[in-house]
Amino acid sequence: MMELLDPIVLTQFAVGGILAGALYALLACGLNLVFGVMKVINLAHAELMLLGSFLTWLLFTTFEIHPLVALPFIMVVLFFFGYGLQRVLIERIVGTTELSSLMVTYGLAIIMMNLGLLIFSSDFKAVPALQGAWFLWDEIIISIPRGVAGIVALLVTLSVYLFLEKARIGKAIRAVAEHADVALICGIDVVKIRMITFGLSAAMAGAAGVMLSMIYSFSPETGPDFILKCFAIIIIGGMGNFAGAFFGGLLLGVVEAFTAGFISTQWAEGVAYMLLVIILLVRPTGLRGKAHA
Amino acid sequence: MRNDLIIAALLVVPALFAPMVASPYHLTFLLNLWMMIALAQSWNLISGMTGYVSFGHAAFFGIGSYAGAIAILAGWPWYLAVVAGAVLAWIVALPLGVLTLRLRGPYFAIAMLGLNELGRIIATLWVDMTEGGDGIALHPDLLPSLTANYTLMLILAIISCGMVAWIYNGRMGLELRAIREGEDVSEMLGVDTVRNKVIAFVLSAIVPGAAGVGYAMFTSYIDPASVFAPVLNIQMIVVVLLGGSGTIWGPVLGAFIVTGLQEVFWAQFPMVHMMLMGTLLIVVILYLPNGILSIIHKRKRIRPDQITPTSEPAKSAGMQEVER
Repeated sequence: MMELLDPIVLTQFAVGGILAGALYALLACGLNLVFGVMKVINLAHAELMLLGSFLTWLLFTTFEIHPLVALPFIMVVLFFFGYGLQRVLIERIVGTTELSSLMVTYGLAIIMMNLGLLIFSSDFKAVPALQGAWFLWDEIIISIPRGVAGIVALLVTLSVYLFLEKARIGKAIRAVAEHADVALICGIDVVKIRMITFGLSAAMAGAAGVMLSMIYSFSPETGPDFILKCFAIIIIGGMGNFAGAFFGGLLLGVVEAFTAGFISTQWAEGVAYMLLVIILLVRPTGLRGKAHA
Repeated sequence: MRNDLIIAALLVVPALFAPMVASPYHLTFLLNLWMMIALAQSWNLISGMTGYVSFGHAAFFGIGSYAGAIAILAGWPWYLAVVAGAVLAWIVALPLGVLTLRLRGPYFAIAMLGLNELGRIIATLWVDMTEGGDGIALHPDLLPSLTANYTLMLILAIISCGMVAWIYNGRMGLELRAIREGEDVSEMLGVDTVRNKVIAFVLSAIVPGAAGVGYAMFTSYIDPASVFAPVLNIQMIVVVLLGGSGTIWGPVLGAFIVTGLQEVFWAQFPMVHMMLMGTLLIVVILYLPNGILSIIHKRKRIRPDQITPTSEPAKSAGMQEVER
């Protein structure tokens, strides 16, 4: 046990955890963005991510395109996919109860997952584009795929954050999240903003999918694990809160890394659910959520 | 009420005589139908009545089938194994309901989604007890005949329908529906919302627990993926919503339709079947939120969660707050 308390080992866990958490953060921020703007809980978010992963895999195996090169292309494809999805389907459930949005997106997730199984089968795929490891101060080892994936995920999340803070459309998105009717009165095309928001969220999921494909093996059935972790994160961070989802994601990554290090990797898989249960019991509306109206 | 009893008699009496005339193939089909009714009606009891959607009721089915299978391996007679499955599901549901039903709306749905995954993970990892991913195979000598199994499922279907009808027509049914329509208001009017929700939830776990044992005995083999199955969750939801959620006969009607569709699609194309279920779920939510029964009844009930496709922004977020 003592060797686990060595500062180098602890730093190793923390760095690994933050890098893994960056991927969760990217995914959860996209999910929370949609919830914040239209109060729709998108259960198909992880399937959008896997769409990105499978596109990466297709491009890598057939044309040998490097995932990092494919990243902008995949994000654009996912953006328009999300944009269209909002136009055709999700717009119809905006403003209804959260439960009907849960069920429609659950149906969507089931359709996408089984379409994936039909096309790609349930075999696990991987995209081994990067290999090797970095050494920080000769002591801390970071595998290059994980390092790159973590950093890119952080960069994408940060740029979306800056986009929301600074860009004109970003401000419009925040306005719609704040109050759709007032935004409408101010001359914002609310319906279009919602389509852009869902597109943006899908593009973030796609980016997470590209990163996922480089570090994990995945199959069409990988979705549920991730969507549940995302829920844990956005409940920890507060539903609809972008920054909360970001820090919640990093937190989950670090907690998982330490659990894996001190106890076992199998327990690490379950720690998200335990966090979820504990937080829901202590604060039924989430750590940063408002009290129930 | 009298009409309900007449319909029930018309369904149950021929069903009791089916084992004497039907071939094993048809009997299996009917067994699946009764199982579907039992499960869907249980889901209806908590989710249809209160509006608290459970995305993980298959967890109780899985817990029950593992409890039953392990009990049978330990030498218990099969009917005691069925009781064991029901009791264990009940024991798990009680603290779970007390914990999760304090939560409003989507949190409960998410917690139940997690429960099913957690159940599957535990069943896979707890190798000493469950034989992990290899699953448990039951020797045919230990199991009841097809007719006994069929009767068990029929009884479970009747119990679940009876439970729903009894609660629906009683004070508790009114209170549960009041919770669905407006939880804060009903609480203010003196409805003990948490107590009602927990009772409904615990009752809704018992029949799936027993049905899980029936399933394990019928297939004689279970593994984590087949009993903690997402397909069961979505089938329960689709069956209830298609027929009419929160009604007595809706789930029965829905089960007939879905089991029929399943007979056509399931065997050849499992994935197409799942996609069909997903599509059906979306179509029902968008175009038929009160289910088929609402067309038959023609008596339009006005519900706040009734879905109107609102593309015009004026009806978005802010306005809806008031209606909720």
